[in-house]
Amino acid sequence: MADIVAAMAMTHSPGLTGWFDRAPRAHQESALQALAEMRRRLEAARPDVLLMFSNDHLLNWPLSNTPEYTIGIADEHVGPADWFDEWLGMEKYRVRGHGSLARYLVNEGARRRIAFASLRDMQFDDGISVPTHYLNPDARFRLVPVTMNCNVPPIPTPERAYRVGAIVRDMVRAYGGPERVAVIATGGLSHEPGGPRYFWVDEEFDRWFLDMLKKGDHEALLRECTLERMEDAGSGGTAELLAWFAALAFTTGPAEVLAYMPAIAWRSGTGMVVWPELAR
Amino acid sequence: MGNVERCDKTLRINEMMFHVRKDAALRERWNRDLEGIAREFDLSQAEYEALRDKDVRRLNDMGVHQYYIPQILRLFYGAAANSNAHPALEAYKRAFPEETAKALALQARLEQEGRA
Repeated sequence: MADIVAAMAMTHSPGLTGWFDRAPRAHQESALQALAEMRRRLEAARPDVLLMFSNDHLLNWPLSNTPEYTIGIADEHVGPADWFDEWLGMEKYRVRGHGSLARYLVNEGARRRIAFASLRDMQFDDGISVPTHYLNPDARFRLVPVTMNCNVPPIPTPERAYRVGAIVRDMVRAYGGPERVAVIATGGLSHEPGGPRYFWVDEEFDRWFLDMLKKGDHEALLRECTLERMEDAGSGGTAELLAWFAALAFTTGPAEVLAYMPAIAWRSGTGMVVWPELAR
Repeated sequence: MGNVERCDKTLRINEMMFHVRKDAALRERWNRDLEGIAREFDLSQAEYEALRDKDVRRLNDMGVHQYYIPQILRLFYGAAANSNAHPALEAYKRAFPEETAKALALQARLEQEGRA
């Protein structure tokens, strides 16, 4: 049976690689320290596979046909997509996938009433590329990417994301292989990509959300952090935190917040979080 | 709900942008044959003119998905040095003066406090 060995979350804003040095030095140092700590803990957990919850930025699916969740089922992934490499300031990278586990999640998910779309050639934007750059730069860990819709109406609710996360958690545990799986959520915190408040972040919301994670009360977080509240804190961007809700279902107890920066220069409230305790 | 709810999922510009981002040949033509691309994707005259004018407000109001708008500006201006000094900021100042002024005031306050 597969084993879940770590759960973490981080912002994936393109500024973290594309224009990193435009942020104040204090933000740069804080981000690098937190990302190094995430990587240290990830390596200590010795995962075979990174199960990465992120979101599609209208790259893989058009507005006319946007699945709620999509799993990349390739045995090898290549990123970033052409349009994104210059923007992200990144060279092309290759990461081994885990086609067997990914296809299992698609099919077992269907049996459990979740309609996962699947892609053999998932295109990667900042959502997968930025975390890969910092957490898996030598591609030592295999990757199963799970992207979700968080920016095309109707946007799913946090309750739905948490429920899907719980089902994926149970499916991973039931997988018939010996894999050690680390869960990484990517996205958020507050930002409004391309909207009227494009150059703004909501520090008050971000600190409130992170404080809620530190309290570790999932029911309270699900009750209070509504989709409407996330949209108020940055439409079409803050709801990337739905990935964090999916990861939350793999955990129990308080999160440890490694860093937070109201990084307007990167155009996103920027945070890194680790959950020391995993759900049993 | 927020601004993202304004998007028109059936708007032809949105369909066009999905393809332009994936197609290097279309991107290469952007700055020399925008009218031809618009014709191929059957854009309305109003859609084409909002694009041509780089009019962030009009694009947003007609239902272009907000995520595509900075990408449209990138096609015109390029991605290099994509900081807050990018021409995108000027376009947003014109389109959303109140919101952008609020954002710049927040940035100034954070800088004053030594946090940005």
